[in-house]
Amino acid sequence: MTTTEAPAAGAGRRPAAPGLRRRRPRFNSAYLFIAPSVILIAIFIAEPIAQSGWMSLHNWTIGEATHKFVGFANYTALYHDSRFWNALRVTVLYTVVVSVGQVLLGLAVASRLRKTTWYSALLRSAYFFPYIASLVVVGIIWKFLLDPQVGLVNAWLSDVGISAPDWLQSTALALPTVIAIGIWKNVGFAMIVLLASMQQVPTFLYEAATLDGANTWQRFRHVTLPALRPALLFTSIIATITGLQLFDLVFAMTSGGPIFHTESVVMYLYEKGFVEFQMGYASAIAWVLFLIILAISAVQLRVARYRDVD
Amino acid sequence: MTGVPSGGAAPLRLPRRAGRLLGRIAAVLSWVVVIAGALAMLVPFLWMLGVAFRTSTDLYAAPARILPAQWTLHGVQAVVGQLPFARLIVNTFVFAGGATILMLLFDSMTAFALARLRFPGRNVVFVLILATLMVPFQVTIVPVFLTLFHLGWLNSYQGLIIPRATSALGIFMLRQFFMRLPSELDDAARIDGAGNFTVYWRIILPNAKPALASLFIIQFAALWNDFLWPLVISNNVNMQTLPAALTIFSSQSGIDHAALMAGAAISLTPLAIAFLLLQRFFVQGVAASGIK
Amino acid sequence: MPFSRLISQRRVVAAAAATVAAALLAAGCSSSPNSGSSSSGGVVHLSMLTGFTGPDEPSYQALVKEFNATHPNIQVTMTVEPWATVAQKLPASWATGQGPDLATPSSDPGSIFNYIKTNSALDLSSAIGTGATQIDTAAFPTSVKSAFTVSGKLYAVPANLATLVLYYNKDMFAKAGISGPPKTEADFIADAKKLTVTSGGKTSQYGLSLADNNTIQMWPILQWMSGGDIIGKNNCAVVSDQASVAALTQWSQLVMQDHISPVGQTGADADTLFSSRKAAMEINGPWAADGYKSAGINLGIAEVPVGSAGPVTLASTVPLMIEKSTPHPAQAEEFLAWYTSKTAQEKFSQVSGFPPSRTDLTSAVSSNATVSVFAAALPYARLYLAGQPNATQIDTDVYVPLIQKITRGANVQASADAAATQINQLTGCKSS
Repeated sequence: MTTTEAPAAGAGRRPAAPGLRRRRPRFNSAYLFIAPSVILIAIFIAEPIAQSGWMSLHNWTIGEATHKFVGFANYTALYHDSRFWNALRVTVLYTVVVSVGQVLLGLAVASRLRKTTWYSALLRSAYFFPYIASLVVVGIIWKFLLDPQVGLVNAWLSDVGISAPDWLQSTALALPTVIAIGIWKNVGFAMIVLLASMQQVPTFLYEAATLDGANTWQRFRHVTLPALRPALLFTSIIATITGLQLFDLVFAMTSGGPIFHTESVVMYLYEKGFVEFQMGYASAIAWVLFLIILAISAVQLRVARYRDVD
Repeated sequence: MTGVPSGGAAPLRLPRRAGRLLGRIAAVLSWVVVIAGALAMLVPFLWMLGVAFRTSTDLYAAPARILPAQWTLHGVQAVVGQLPFARLIVNTFVFAGGATILMLLFDSMTAFALARLRFPGRNVVFVLILATLMVPFQVTIVPVFLTLFHLGWLNSYQGLIIPRATSALGIFMLRQFFMRLPSELDDAARIDGAGNFTVYWRIILPNAKPALASLFIIQFAALWNDFLWPLVISNNVNMQTLPAALTIFSSQSGIDHAALMAGAAISLTPLAIAFLLLQRFFVQGVAASGIK
Repeated sequence: MPFSRLISQRRVVAAAAATVAAALLAAGCSSSPNSGSSSSGGVVHLSMLTGFTGPDEPSYQALVKEFNATHPNIQVTMTVEPWATVAQKLPASWATGQGPDLATPSSDPGSIFNYIKTNSALDLSSAIGTGATQIDTAAFPTSVKSAFTVSGKLYAVPANLATLVLYYNKDMFAKAGISGPPKTEADFIADAKKLTVTSGGKTSQYGLSLADNNTIQMWPILQWMSGGDIIGKNNCAVVSDQASVAALTQWSQLVMQDHISPVGQTGADADTLFSSRKAAMEINGPWAADGYKSAGINLGIAEVPVGSAGPVTLASTVPLMIEKSTPHPAQAEEFLAWYTSKTAQEKFSQVSGFPPSRTDLTSAVSSNATVSVFAAALPYARLYLAGQPNATQIDTDVYVPLIQKITRGANVQASADAAATQINQLTGCKSS
């Protein structure tokens, strides 16, 4: 491997095309590369986020002529809001179990199905399929499947003699059921990402390990896993972010019930903002959630950095 | 056992034949489990397809059946008849396809810069972009609506597509992928005088097919399934997308199951086709570019 | 390797991207903002947004079509979207003058308060009268008129008016040896028990299909039958009073011990249960009749059984409002006037099966067997949480959880007391 250290100012410094006389420092074109995304994000995501932060400092109803500035009153009210803490507990529980579940299962399935045989490809497609279906449609399908009167699941269970409960109406079982469906829906995503990374592991490493006498598990642990660290980090960060924003699934399946046992933070936000028209309070909820996600992701990134060689 | 890589406990020592048998049983078991799991993934959709063609009485009478006993085309007829179907499909393709293609371009450019180019503020930009993923959509929807109103972009294709033409998820995913590509590829090109854009277009992108294909299908599906965004941005039914229009079959006063499931099945079909077409890119190995 | 030749490509791409962006921006800025309505050549076009998805839609579209046919100078287009979407769009749309000229903001009559507060809804008081293009509020039921009148001003007309009646499955009744629908509460309870079939711990048939969430509420009727209520005259909660607690206890016991109904059903679940012949009775509104008939049920419809407090049932109405900043208020008001007129309401009733929103049409619709049952209930039908600005919040935060708790074994008095405290906080009740 021989690389020449490119001169500090601009790679490819020997232009063949005439007229390119001026030195173009490298960082200039980097900004061009990021410009489209950054501009769009700034206008359509960052600015609305900032605006919602501003709204969170007011009693804000859409369409009102003036909005009363209340400083951090919304945030203090939130701190004392037991329904918010319940929603947070539900959301965090969901996120932790679904993230861990989808990564573990995704890993297991990916390693089993990594070959390029036709049957592996078929099975991989099967696992990925739920991921591309709409969350709302999935919620409706499962709600119907789990219905104790007319649902498939309970009918099958009673065919084998098990008397099954009302999954989504039981205060004890509603959240675990939603969690299971969350894992079901997302396993495919984890599988695809981890698989793509697995494919990048050069085969000679495996050959070397086999020559050294490593068995399947050891090859996995010492060759595959280390190579997967970035992908594992990516998957767990994305799983965390999407998990903490849980909304569509519970909205379609349980509406947050029974008795708030599956009410997520974003559901509570939706209720406050669009049903009770308290956008200021809803924005405060959004910002608190945002900061929580930010903190958790920062921790994940920091932990990974200590163990990752990038 | 010789030369066991360090760090692990000594493996279980079994007599050879038993060890091989156990290994084989474990392999078979794992295949059984994997196949059962795959069935669990698909059965709900097969059931959905069945409901699309079942009458209500059939559905309620014998739920534990996947194939209809009483067939009806009412569901499909309702979807095609009650909706401006052709227009909706076109709109959905334009929205999902247009935004995804733009997204692949913009996201890969940004990811390339973040992964391969050095510039001041690189890490800050990455963290800030990542941070924007963390705010739920419900909260930005009203300010975005107001912004589009001021731009005059409501009820238009550009209003539908441009705000969604980049994705922090895509940037993050491609950055991770690009970072894993060997830098020898770049260096070889740069020695020969390639500029940044050439490296991006000729070296990085072609080697990123698995990631690009995966990202395409993930984002295309997400945009295709997003029914809230088109409904909010436009109040003209001719600008709606198919999933948005399908919501009319579900209401407080009764769900037309056959129509809803037929609509869902129809909506899922292009996604399934796109997925099958892109299948072969998912597991493509590193391009033969001289790594070995 | 001729990579060097392609250095300039970078500049080309950048230039192209900039041009495209500029072109799009230019295209965007030159188009005028959509304002929902327009007028061209003397014809005024009005846009209307409602939440009447599902099997209801054709009835409303038929009404709109009739208006368009008889009013060539005013053409109305009705768009239908789910209630959740309407709720998310309408506040911002109306605040920016973007929105539809007419809209039903929610299926909940209490939703009008927010739009009044933000000055987004047109005051209709000037359009009241008995003329052809005026809104005849004298013909509305009193409860509806007062629900839509705030601070003495009228802000909405009823887009529909529904009453709840008792649907029952005649075949199941015959099989259980019951000759006709229950007329009194005592009969009601007895029949419900008799029609519940349980074997080996599993209930294969329920006597009554009750819903407690995402539904037009049924449980308030069970309280009203015995003289209980949720909020009393002075805006203070009475849900923990003796009559209410007695009713709630009685009915929650019936659910838990006699299994007359499943627990935790949404409105749609309850409908499905009845449609699939797994329940013998259901309290429901006019929208369900057609669906049940086409499901092949031998359907009976009767008024809700009478309890110790006299005949009572629940009424529900959807408000139809006009955007404050609409460019065509006169035409929009004319539409509302026509919509609530005798001819339109009689026609709507026949087509939709809903009772008319007017009290002076009972004889006109008496020929239609189904509609007359609903219309007959109008005089004693009550609105749920009438006139409460925080009605939605009271329903989702307090009442629904209350019912869900007591049907799962929570102590009724204690739960009702907690609910009363919460309600008083929301209504601003001043007494102890």
